[in-house]
Amino acid sequence: MALSRKIAYIDLTNRRVRTAPIPLEMRRRYLGGRGLDMYLLYNHVKPGADPLGPDNVALVSAGLLTGTLASASARVHIAGKSPLTGLVGSANMGGFFGPEMRLAGFDHLVITGKADGPVYLWIHDGEIEIRDASHLWGHDAHQTQTLVRDELGDDDIQVMTIGVAGENLVRFACVMTSLKNAAGRTGMGALFGSKNLKAIAARGRMDIKIAFPEEALDYNKEIITQVTSAKVSKTMQKLGTLFIWGTTNSTGLVRVRNFQSNQIPHADDIEPESIEEEMIGTAGCFGCQVHCRGRYFIKKGPYTGAYVEGPEYTSLGAFGAEVGCTTKQTVLVGNHLVNTYGLDTLETGSMIAWAMELFEKGILTTKDTDGLDLRFGNDEAVIEAVHQIAQRRGIGDILAEGPLKAAEKIGKDAIKYLIHVKGMSNLHSDERPTPALALNIATASRGSDHLRSRPAIDLYHLPEKVLRKIFGNPVPYDGPLTSDYRDYEGKPWEVLWQEMCYETVDCLGICKYHTVFLGPNMPNFSEWPKLIYLNTGLEFTPKDLWDIADRAYTMERLFNLREGLTKEMDWLPDRYFDEKTDRGLPVVRGKSIDRDKFRKMVDEYYKLHEWDENGQPTEKKLKALGLENEPTHKL
Amino acid sequence: MSKTKEESTAKKTVRGRTSGQFRCLNCFERLTPPPGAKIFTCPNCGYAWRLSWFGPGEPRIRGPVWDVNEAQTQKSMAEKGGN
Repeated sequence: MALSRKIAYIDLTNRRVRTAPIPLEMRRRYLGGRGLDMYLLYNHVKPGADPLGPDNVALVSAGLLTGTLASASARVHIAGKSPLTGLVGSANMGGFFGPEMRLAGFDHLVITGKADGPVYLWIHDGEIEIRDASHLWGHDAHQTQTLVRDELGDDDIQVMTIGVAGENLVRFACVMTSLKNAAGRTGMGALFGSKNLKAIAARGRMDIKIAFPEEALDYNKEIITQVTSAKVSKTMQKLGTLFIWGTTNSTGLVRVRNFQSNQIPHADDIEPESIEEEMIGTAGCFGCQVHCRGRYFIKKGPYTGAYVEGPEYTSLGAFGAEVGCTTKQTVLVGNHLVNTYGLDTLETGSMIAWAMELFEKGILTTKDTDGLDLRFGNDEAVIEAVHQIAQRRGIGDILAEGPLKAAEKIGKDAIKYLIHVKGMSNLHSDERPTPALALNIATASRGSDHLRSRPAIDLYHLPEKVLRKIFGNPVPYDGPLTSDYRDYEGKPWEVLWQEMCYETVDCLGICKYHTVFLGPNMPNFSEWPKLIYLNTGLEFTPKDLWDIADRAYTMERLFNLREGLTKEMDWLPDRYFDEKTDRGLPVVRGKSIDRDKFRKMVDEYYKLHEWDENGQPTEKKLKALGLENEPTHKL
Repeated sequence: MSKTKEESTAKKTVRGRTSGQFRCLNCFERLTPPPGAKIFTCPNCGYAWRLSWFGPGEPRIRGPVWDVNEAQTQKSMAEKGGN
């Protein structure tokens, strides 16, 4: 059955591996993926552990449906205490690694200690070997995958790996698989690097038995039709996630030159349709029919001939709007470099944009940058800054420390210009006109984050009746809901609903583009119980799934509180309140967030969660979720 | 859990889909441009949009007609007494 996979405990210090079955009770409480990772995180990481020390734990988890007949079930989740924020470290990625790890017999890896030299894990048909990786150290994320396949003699091996950035402990290094799939946020690549863990390779031939295969296939066809017939999916098939730019930049919802404007006019060369002219096709992850990964060759400059996948919407900000660049060449090259170095594209672009504003304001000078001219719009300087960050050279060595530590090192007023929450930078979005999205980034468990609780459909001006249908299930909600994205009313519920929705797909191992993220009519709590039942035989109601998501999210909150989270950290940078937007349509121009109204939103959000006024889950809430005795060390 | 014979949510959703339209980002009206149009001005609010087509009969906003929309916005803000 899909439930027969094991958990492996891998002690790198002593080079020991132990495996165990996963009790059904734990499946029913956390499903898998991010959910079970949060249980393992809270239970296995010692309070106050150094994120880059041997006491931190690297967790790798397949979702409950990863590798099954559920559409887009490619996701694998990585967790640990974040080297970037010191709070929850959590990131997931698609590609093919997650399904392959399950085919090799494992759902969850708990990696502890630190190897005495570079190693990689080789997982195959129920076995795990710890192998020497000295010869892989120093190779980029793409080369490493090829070298591992060559060494093991099988082109179908799937590899997740760090690049040079992870080796150099860049605090926002990511873990990569395939050419562009990245477990991007919170520095999980640095966590791997700190353990001398270069890569994990997987190859398996152990069937994932499906509970009701014919019915599961039939139902999956319906889901596929539901997903692929949506306008958002059709657009992504052609343009990838870049398509979002058409709406956001046209409206004035983009973060430009760090945070100095909210629209970049006449930037035709970085419009998705212009970048599409370079595409030679698209690719997809395991079990997905959308195929949103654009494929390119770089056609000019020093990287001519490099084959690239992506760039995602995020890179359009990182190497476009945020740094004031308007050429697709810079976007494509920047995207290629972060994928080979193994860097979080979002954090990389944000750090460079911040440094550029500091440069503009004289807080950084050419003396600090060894002559690097960090003016906004300087394409060459942006690309050079990426190299310096990954290689920890020059100003890059400071930026590699991430927002808060870098601000501390630079001093002066540097911290005032950071666009971060909880020490993690924001997407290139400007939330000043959209209180719901602002609340999302202020309260998300891993820092400023559009993938934790962003109610993106709030931007779609949907009729209240439609909003009620979406946000009123599976838990009834009769409070206010409005179509106007500038409103403060009713938005805390949207954020909370979206938290539960995203947590559930992350527990199942399904891509967020196959649920209510960018399209309102995508599968969600109504469809998932049947999908789970037909694939695994496990029965859940929609409300059961909501409660599981709530339990997992509460574990994240408990972990964060234990590691130093305070109410004051569920808040936005001052610039959101003090500076008004200067461009865009009339509905977004001249907007800032109202402090008092925002305070009320945060308070209401806490109440809806049944947290107290300081953001601590109440005893009643913990009891209702069965969390009152954590840590329980059942796994 | 047994398989239901009622029409599933997935099927109902597919049946309800529309195409051939896009929403004006300024006034949110649903607009139906002529097939293949590259620019379309919203008859409701006067904002002009550059379009691209991701499939036959499937328009999307590529970007604003910058100068037209900026002029419209300046006018609108002036009327409201804004910046």
